[in-house]
Amino acid sequence: MRATKARRAAAKDDADADRWCPRAPVLDLMYPSRTARCCLFSKHRRDSSSPEIGGTGSWPEVGDNLGGVSDEATALFVDRLTKVYADGTHALNALELRLPAGSFFGLLGPNGAGKTTLIGSVAGLVRAPAGRIFVFGHDAIADARARLLLGLAPQEIHLDRFLTAREVLVYHGRYFGMRRSDAEERADELLEVFDLARKARTKPHRLSGGMRRRLLIARALVHRPRLAMLDEPTAGVDLELRHELWRYLRRLQSEEGLTVLLTTHYIEEAEALCERVALIRAGRIVAEGTPGELVDRYGGERLEDAYLEAMRA
Amino acid sequence: MSTVELRVAQRRGTVALTGREVRRVFSLWTQTILPPVLTATLFLAVFGGALGERIREIEGIPYVEFILPGLLVMTVASQTFGNNSTSLFQAKSEGYIEDVLTSPLRPWQLALAYMAGGLVRGFVAALAVLALAWPFAGGIERPAVALVSLGLTGLVFSAVGVITGVWAETFDQHSFIASIVITPLALVGGVFYSARTLSEPWETLTRFDPLYYLVDATRAGFTGFHESPLWLSLVVTALVALALFAAASALLARGWRLKP
Repeated sequence: MRATKARRAAAKDDADADRWCPRAPVLDLMYPSRTARCCLFSKHRRDSSSPEIGGTGSWPEVGDNLGGVSDEATALFVDRLTKVYADGTHALNALELRLPAGSFFGLLGPNGAGKTTLIGSVAGLVRAPAGRIFVFGHDAIADARARLLLGLAPQEIHLDRFLTAREVLVYHGRYFGMRRSDAEERADELLEVFDLARKARTKPHRLSGGMRRRLLIARALVHRPRLAMLDEPTAGVDLELRHELWRYLRRLQSEEGLTVLLTTHYIEEAEALCERVALIRAGRIVAEGTPGELVDRYGGERLEDAYLEAMRA
Repeated sequence: MSTVELRVAQRRGTVALTGREVRRVFSLWTQTILPPVLTATLFLAVFGGALGERIREIEGIPYVEFILPGLLVMTVASQTFGNNSTSLFQAKSEGYIEDVLTSPLRPWQLALAYMAGGLVRGFVAALAVLALAWPFAGGIERPAVALVSLGLTGLVFSAVGVITGVWAETFDQHSFIASIVITPLALVGGVFYSARTLSEPWETLTRFDPLYYLVDATRAGFTGFHESPLWLSLVVTALVALALFAAASALLARGWRLKP
């Protein structure tokens, strides 16, 4: 019944998109002469009845309500997360964090504050941290369903050198359970969106730095995650591309309901994109709120002033 | 998402990773298939052709027929090991292993997919060697025994390859296992001689080589001749393969040397 509803909703979306796409002007502005990609956003709008990873069923449902620990309204819940590396470095120190579903959330902190360790812990790239992590109610350490809901664009660009750009996306989708045909369709859509279609058959090491960065972000989105974790996605990216990525991420969040966790060293980026910001220092969240709230709390005129004050405190 | 749907997703992922590994084997065929075929062909030419004129028979079996099963075991062992250790080492050292480590695949599925790639490489190379040697081979006496024995060889060494790929942190470490462990084991494993024709301590030393039992079992499949209890060799090898697969899965689950 649910799958039928989802198919009907998707068909209605497709029909609407065929008639008129309200997003076309925005898309045209961003990608001239490529309005066809508006269907991407119509087809795959994120809600509980959107297509499943395989492309035809329902989206993964939220797991048990853990007595307020995590629920539908919470995309990520991190509880007393502690990570001590083998060399004795305390990367995370009983860190607590809650991301509202559908929010654009920024994580700001100096180098070594624990941002990448936190993201790695959520994504399963860091070994056995102490504490609990829930992604839409699923235990991120014990329940593989959490992995299907997550998309990760790491800080460092590592792409499979044996595959072409298109294959990087297709294989990623298939690793995450998509059917080959759905993964191929999704890969083509994302290659268009990220302006990589002409490089579809190019191996990653032959792409420019900016293209590789775009491919990495596209890879994070192939399996249609509900929570995208972008670790410094605009590091080393030129200004023009940075603004393009901002617009695309904003649109993903507002139109597809994607929850975004963004780490960045560019304070203006967090100010421009994030509804809520957490400041992290020495493995702990020292402050969290809207940029306005943080400015009110720490003083100054801009988020940058509040950030500097918070880091000094 | 139900458990069944999750399992379907994980199965698709395993098939995809297996496909990626197999694809890597064929896209690099000049490095993965050609060299072992050339090596085995040279062994056949030198030992079977040139020396075969002088040795003629061992245990009543023409020399080429005697060494062929061992060459196939050597080929499968070295290629399954080499494929998996190299593929995992590359993925780890270049960082793109994070793509599969963040996927919903279970550790044993990751191990299985990597092992499958190695098995394909080992068997394609072994089939090519067999095809080249076929005119000189005397047929296969017990094909099932030969197949099981070569299959177990592949499983054991592909699991060792996965473990080595996870363990190795430098290219030197990676090469060390291949050149110091795998190659010597293959060369003193009774490929070119019968253990019972050796004097002591060489006969006893040969019998300590685990590869000797796989060579012996495969030879039993091809020629009917064997020196050790056949089924004991196969059962023990199957248990070793299972233990190594479990060890590889456990290392992947723990993230040892893969995750900080």
